[in-house]
Amino acid sequence: MGSFFRNWWRLLVAVTLLVAAIQVFVRPSTALERAEPVRAAGVALFRPVYSAADFLRGGLSGVWNRYIALVGVSRENERLRKEVTELRERLHATRDAVLENRRLKELLSYSRTIEQRTLGARVVGHDVSPWFRAIFLGTGSEAGIESGMSVVTPYGAVGRIHKVHPGLSEVLLVTDGRFAADVMVERSRVRAIAEGAGGNFCRLKYISPAQDVAVGDRIVFSGFDGSMPKGVLLGTVVSVDRPKESLFQKVKVQCSVNFQDVEEVMVILSRPSVPYRAVKD
Amino acid sequence: MAYLGASLCIWWLSGFVPWFLLPDFPFLAIVYSGLFVPGVAGFLCALPPALFREITMSSPSWSMFLGSMALYFASREIGRRFLLRSEPSLLSAVVSLLAAESFSVVLLLTLSGARPFSFLWGAQEAVRIAWTSLIAVPLFLDLSVRWRSVKE
Repeated sequence: MGSFFRNWWRLLVAVTLLVAAIQVFVRPSTALERAEPVRAAGVALFRPVYSAADFLRGGLSGVWNRYIALVGVSRENERLRKEVTELRERLHATRDAVLENRRLKELLSYSRTIEQRTLGARVVGHDVSPWFRAIFLGTGSEAGIESGMSVVTPYGAVGRIHKVHPGLSEVLLVTDGRFAADVMVERSRVRAIAEGAGGNFCRLKYISPAQDVAVGDRIVFSGFDGSMPKGVLLGTVVSVDRPKESLFQKVKVQCSVNFQDVEEVMVILSRPSVPYRAVKD
Repeated sequence: MAYLGASLCIWWLSGFVPWFLLPDFPFLAIVYSGLFVPGVAGFLCALPPALFREITMSSPSWSMFLGSMALYFASREIGRRFLLRSEPSLLSAVVSLLAAESFSVVLLLTLSGARPFSFLWGAQEAVRIAWTSLIAVPLFLDLSVRWRSVKE
């Protein structure tokens, strides 16, 4: 028996660690909280690398925008001048509507300030693993960010804060398979559960064949589950499949945000009304 | 410094190059430590890339670290019992470890109810496994020769 363990201890350790990893994957353990200083040290070690990568990326896009993309700019300038003239004429024609719109915008931003504080943050990196969809923000717990907070852009929802470290936050994208939230079809108010489907897509679950969903419908978060703010755009329906043998429709949604290109996001600094599981990680 | 360079490369490339063309350098560092660096030195070499994977991937807390250390011990066992210092043997070892890891994560995610994988994703993952394995063979052979000369 002793010789068996001596011969195969590496394999036994590997199997034990694999079982432990599966256990932690399926049910996050609170006992591992003691090891958080190690993770914090690792994050502190790699944070400058994120910053350097962000700096390099910014520098490269700056060179591209300022020099290379200037080819043909005079032609575009001419076109834009004409467009500005046309837009000015239109603006004069709809002055009343513009003024009303401005007032409404001010009112909206005021109500947002009262109800939900937001924080701008830069995207400094992407999850490079093939299995998970996440981005990293260059702002962390020192700014008041907590797990479960919503992350949005003016174009739509980005995801939820998954883990927070000093100076770095991890955002689980809406396209990650572990993301789920209550949504509704903007036009028909049909409710469903949106789930990440990889790529730039989500799928809607539990929509019966009798309910009204069509290609081109906009999908917004309902806010009923307290995980994402009400009314934030998720995306647009790109396909609806009604299989005869199934109880539910298969609805595919293309997200309104291109996650590969997003550079700045807003974190909504209000705690989710439903406790987020990652807090216990 | 090698790990730092690899991480810089990965993050910089992550903005421009699709994920399936990015070789998993920390994975390669862990497998190399298991296959070629004996004893406590190998274990210590495997710790930083395992921590690196834990931090840069959005898996549940510490699952990727534990999985990476399991990978280290598995590759140590392979290095001790099955590995021959030849290209086909190295290639098959790295491909099987990459495929086993990917299959495990996909299985766990699928069992937990998530279905973010498609046929296209499978094809892309196959490209990533092939690409990382093809890089691994010359890299491992070169590094093992250097490591041997350092020991001598």
